[in-house]
Amino acid sequence: MFSSHLQERTRREVMQLSAAGVFAGSLSGWMPLLAKEAAKSGTKKHKSCILLFMDGGPTHKDTWDLKPDSKGAGDFKPIATSAPGIQISEHLPKIAKHMHQGVLVRGMSSPEGAHGRAKYYAHTGFREGQGGVIYPSIGSIVSQQLGRMDATVPNYISIAGRTYGSGFLGPKHQPLMVQSPDRGVEDLKALVTGSQFDNRVGLLKEMESAFHREYKVDPINDHKTTYERAVALMQSKESKAFDLTQESSATRSKYGSGRFADGVLMARRLVEVGVPFIEVSLGGWDTHQDNFARVQKLSGEVDSAISALLSDLSERGLLDSTLVVWMGEFGRTPHINTRGAKPGRDHYPRAWSLAMFGGGMKGGQVIGKTDKEGAEVVERKTSVQDFLATTCELLGIDHTKENITATGRPIKLVDKPNPFTKLIV
Amino acid sequence: MKHRSLYRWVLLAAFSVMVFGQSVSLAQTKPQQAKAQAKAKAQREQRLAAKKLAEDKKLAEEKAAEQKAKKEAEARRAEAEKLQKEREARGEAIEKFHPARIGDAKDHTAVARFIDAKINAKLAVENTPVSPACTDEEFVRRAYLDLTGVIPTLEQTTAFLEDKSPDKRAKLIDELLETPNYARHRADLWMNLLVQKTSDNRRVNFDSLRTWLTGQFAANRPWDAMVSDIVTATGDQEKNPAVGFFLSNNTVDKMTDESAKIFLGVQLQCAQCHDHKFNDWKQTEYWAMAQFFMKVQVGGLGRDQTPGIQETQNVRRNKMNPLPESAKQLEPKFLQGDYPKVTKAEPYRPVLAKWMTAPTNPFFAKAMTNRIWSELFGRGIVNPVDDMVGQNLPSHPELLTGLAGDFAANGFDVKHLIRSICNSDAYQRSSKSIDGNESAEPHLYAKMTVKVLSPEQLFDSLAAATKFQEPTAARAKAKAAGRNAPQGARERFVTFYLAGADMTSAVEYEAGIPQALKLMNSRQTGSSNPQAVRSIVGTTRGAEAIEKIYLTALSRRPTAAESEKLTKYVASAGLPQDALSDVIWAVLNSSEFTLNR
Repeated sequence: MFSSHLQERTRREVMQLSAAGVFAGSLSGWMPLLAKEAAKSGTKKHKSCILLFMDGGPTHKDTWDLKPDSKGAGDFKPIATSAPGIQISEHLPKIAKHMHQGVLVRGMSSPEGAHGRAKYYAHTGFREGQGGVIYPSIGSIVSQQLGRMDATVPNYISIAGRTYGSGFLGPKHQPLMVQSPDRGVEDLKALVTGSQFDNRVGLLKEMESAFHREYKVDPINDHKTTYERAVALMQSKESKAFDLTQESSATRSKYGSGRFADGVLMARRLVEVGVPFIEVSLGGWDTHQDNFARVQKLSGEVDSAISALLSDLSERGLLDSTLVVWMGEFGRTPHINTRGAKPGRDHYPRAWSLAMFGGGMKGGQVIGKTDKEGAEVVERKTSVQDFLATTCELLGIDHTKENITATGRPIKLVDKPNPFTKLIV
Repeated sequence: MKHRSLYRWVLLAAFSVMVFGQSVSLAQTKPQQAKAQAKAKAQREQRLAAKKLAEDKKLAEEKAAEQKAKKEAEARRAEAEKLQKEREARGEAIEKFHPARIGDAKDHTAVARFIDAKINAKLAVENTPVSPACTDEEFVRRAYLDLTGVIPTLEQTTAFLEDKSPDKRAKLIDELLETPNYARHRADLWMNLLVQKTSDNRRVNFDSLRTWLTGQFAANRPWDAMVSDIVTATGDQEKNPAVGFFLSNNTVDKMTDESAKIFLGVQLQCAQCHDHKFNDWKQTEYWAMAQFFMKVQVGGLGRDQTPGIQETQNVRRNKMNPLPESAKQLEPKFLQGDYPKVTKAEPYRPVLAKWMTAPTNPFFAKAMTNRIWSELFGRGIVNPVDDMVGQNLPSHPELLTGLAGDFAANGFDVKHLIRSICNSDAYQRSSKSIDGNESAEPHLYAKMTVKVLSPEQLFDSLAAATKFQEPTAARAKAKAAGRNAPQGARERFVTFYLAGADMTSAVEYEAGIPQALKLMNSRQTGSSNPQAVRSIVGTTRGAEAIEKIYLTALSRRPTAAESEKLTKYVASAGLPQDALSDVIWAVLNSSEFTLNR
């Protein structure tokens, strides 16, 4: 409630924007100015990150780190990929063709084994409740570090699931949530016709400037900025990025069907308009039971969507500037449990895998290694912080920077990491 | 030590073998039965000897451990004393605190004069021009929002504006302090502080705590008694809702951090793992305070059990009650205070509560005084409010000490404190700048701070303006669903607005694009539905309708220019209803509506 430091930061940002001429002067010309500014900065090449979050804790032994000779090997067979020496699950055949563009991290290891806390940890790099601070998720950090405050489309979009927010960074870096990608952004359409909405915005504009003339305080400017951005989003051509009907049915079916496939396609469209961070969730990975049938189906969804995404990004020359990450909150037990007729695997944070594609990496590599059961990391144990710091470095963010909490406590973007960027670029 | 006892054990074992051997030789002359008896006896003796041996060993070890602990405790005491002396030498030690009334008993007029004397003295020193008193229109909206959490209705505003009595502001303050909304607003503020928004807590229903807080604030229960109830709370959530604080902060470190932060205005949490960098809190001080919560057991957070809190005789740890890695077992000690006289088996929390809520406690009265000040002025006399020690100094030290002293001496009467502040000129100042104070430091109070409505205030004010009512069916359904009930419209709005943060800033507009989109375009927020037009303007049209909109939403009459312009706008539109809904939409989405000026 009393975030003096935060206040200074955002006030500075607003002042920078004013200095750039975006919000300075009379309100009459605000929309064209915004558009002009957006066009100007649009010429620079943005780095973006698409986080594909596998909610529930995906099994590493049945996706990226198969152990055909182990005790709990399971039903799936490994297949060769476009990267010599790297094998992945037979149910990811299309991704296998892109493996030369990707890096597998097989030595992930983390301390949280319950979904809620582990997801918080995976998104923030901090344990929930630690030091009484609510930590920002990686999406909010990227929004803060790479996002443009004058961008028409918000800098952090979360699609098809629940994610973690901006914590002490404040609502400005909160994700815009898109629950059902086929329906677009909630409340994006005005309740009245375009001309009536224009009238309303006209009235609001006059009220704002009159009130500001009298009171001249920062919150009025901040309020105005937020509304201008929201209205700009409603009326912008960029907001078409949320409209999947603009895509051909051939493209849509290439990604697959369902919320995840639609979400990944929307993510690509958002990268094209310069959004720096998009998260798309795919639930259902908590496979305590019926692991193999379920993972086969989920792998199919992932396989179509990711391969289509990577091809599309490549075609558009965006793959080098876009980091695509596939990860969950932990892995699953190397052994198969005895829960009924269709057993599964249980939570396992000790050793797990994640996959990264594009982002200017030298693909076709594996970082880290587990033992023959997939139970212990035996090479290059990688923490969530290591991964987050690497992500920052690939996006050009200095993760040793500190944010200041409301109580004046400095907090590094990522705490004590050992990034592996050098190994993959 | 270990070696010596081992040596003794070996000696004794040798001796018992000798005894055993002797008894066997004696038994040779007797029948077999006797021989067996003797053997059994010998074995018994052997067992007894071994048992005694083990007991002796244990005793010796315990004694040694005790001595060691005593030595360590002495060392710690010496260290604590040294630390205290160092702090005193630096002038950073917590001052002794003496409650003292200002004027007569609960003399809010005298306290208000005291506030103005202190604030004006500093303004004079800084030579800063002071904004004039706020208008009645500014005051009525400010008082309603600050004291009841919601804007006044058109009728309430007009009644106040038309009242000609000279003491109508004081009267309004008195009236508002007795409304149900006063207690509800206080409960909102304290729910945000007492209940952490974590993934664990989403599974617990804290409605009973909210109800309890509302009742306590409505009855103006003395603050020391309320906090004592919270800190010592034991039992089932249903029977004793005050346990909600511990249920929400369900580990020893959270209990320590949050109670220090919200009741004492002290940030201890960094000292959990290391000595505090800025505030000089030592890790040992942290864990000495944490001891008071070591025996608290949280239970029933799982399925089908009533959540509750117990204090056991011993420290017990399990999955539900874990200890952080950095935990230390020390003697309990009050923060910058004494070692309590309490045995290990006695409950600790009553002792802590007694120290914490004592009128002479150096933190307690100041922390609450500072908090209430900051709720009303947008910043604390010490700012931020939960970091009141070390180098974070008060802007007006005598004001804080005097106000807190009066609060403690008047029995921690919360309403008295609020009434005193609201009757001061400093509170009743206009928030408009005048020449020379445009960029005055906010801590000088040369003008009133413009505050941003909290999500609760915003929802309630939107609902009040548009006469929004949640469909009764939805409410009944939510209620019937019980513990994991889907949230009501208000809670959903607040959750959406906070979007994962613990609370919003009082002085900064923090809402983002999603929030703005919802306010502009969602049917639920009702800012433009036909129902709103009907309920606000009824059948009136023209300038009268515009005035109704302004009085309802902004608690003021439109200026002549505004009235003229908007009347013309409505007149020139095809459908006056649509044009009026446009005006309502714009007013409800304006920063003037979302700010408390």
